Amino acid sequence: MGSLKCENVKKTYNKKEVLKDINLNLEQGKIYGLIGRNGAGKTTLLSIMSSQNPQSGGSVTLDGEKVWENQKVIDKICFSREISQMSGFGQNSLKIKDYLKAAAIFYPKWNKEMADELVAKFELNPKKKICKLSKGMLSMVTIIIALASEAEYTFLDEPVAGLDVVARDQFYKLLLREYTKSGRTFVISTHIIEEAAEVFEEVIMLNQGKILLKENTQELLERAYHVSGKAEDVEAATAGLEVYHKEMIGRSMGATVLLKEGESLNGQYPVSVQKMTLEKLFVALCGGEV
Amino acid sequence: MNEILTQEKSIYIQIREMIENDILRDILLEEERVPSTNELAKLYSINPATAAKGVNLLVDDGILYKKRGIGMFVQEGAKEAIMKKRKEEFADKFIKSLLTEADSLGITKEELIDMIRRNGESTEQ
Repeated sequence: MGSLKCENVKKTYNKKEVLKDINLNLEQGKIYGLIGRNGAGKTTLLSIMSSQNPQSGGSVTLDGEKVWENQKVIDKICFSREISQMSGFGQNSLKIKDYLKAAAIFYPKWNKEMADELVAKFELNPKKKICKLSKGMLSMVTIIIALASEAEYTFLDEPVAGLDVVARDQFYKLLLREYTKSGRTFVISTHIIEEAAEVFEEVIMLNQGKILLKENTQELLERAYHVSGKAEDVEAATAGLEVYHKEMIGRSMGATVLLKEGESLNGQYPVSVQKMTLEKLFVALCGGEV
Repeated sequence: MNEILTQEKSIYIQIREMIENDILRDILLEEERVPSTNELAKLYSINPATAAKGVNLLVDDGILYKKRGIGMFVQEGAKEAIMKKRKEEFADKFIKSLLTEADSLGITKEELIDMIRRNGESTEQ
């Protein structure tokens, strides 16, 4: 089984540490969700893993081979970034079809039929210029490049940004179709967490340049609980457990608990215990005070 | 008050139940001010009108009352009233489904009563 490995990866921009000691092992054939707040380092991590950005320390390897400037390895990786309407010297006036033609040069397994099919499916006009596209249409183009690249490791950076509900649903369906057909590995960063939670086999949470957790999505949700009630009851029920994000209002308290294997809440206190959604859990783990 | 809102019930129903729960658990005491609709709206990130709808249901039930210009307060005897109402609902909500499930598993009434008794003993210890 192949795997893409990051070992002690660091990245600093000027003096700012953006990624701190990232250790990550991406197994082949899984869909990973990469979630983190703005500026957490998601795009930087994806660009380092795809050799588009040099790391300041540590190593990235695919099946034991260095990724950086290694053409053989890079051919297996596609990082479909957000497309800018501006190119070097002004507006990006390439037409969609020419943009896709250019993309085809970079990906040896490029599937032109699939690209054409997706252009039609998203109802894009191939003659339209990149600089004339809306936010959602730009996202569609990045999705087309990612899927048609047929790269073994495909990273999508916020593919659903700006897409309407119907198009987002279309994307998840297309992604799953491609995934079941090919067994490719996908890493998808997104801010629309709840929608994508069922698609992710594993979730990677990035917080302030560190991996907060990497875990099977369902298993993570099964051990996460929200406990609320009278402050002293909540304290007693959760004493000695891994507790996050305590909130107080008067005598009332709410807290998020992550149970370890074999653990359970203490005793029978009059508290409400609720299951959590991935989004709520993310806010509890990464959110600051409002 | 710190519970998470779910998709399963209307939000205003959940607001009402949370305030009731807090009164039952002595988190909100009688003759004490409850959070305003604006405070509730901020806490749950919901529309203030939705929060007001939940609060008004409790006013209609006589659980809360309004002091003009100050806010909503817990009515004297509110806890007892809620307990009475919940007890009435208890048979419908829990006992009926308990008996249906027991029946489909072939558990007799005697066995069921025995189970409840044993469970009660273990939690009391």
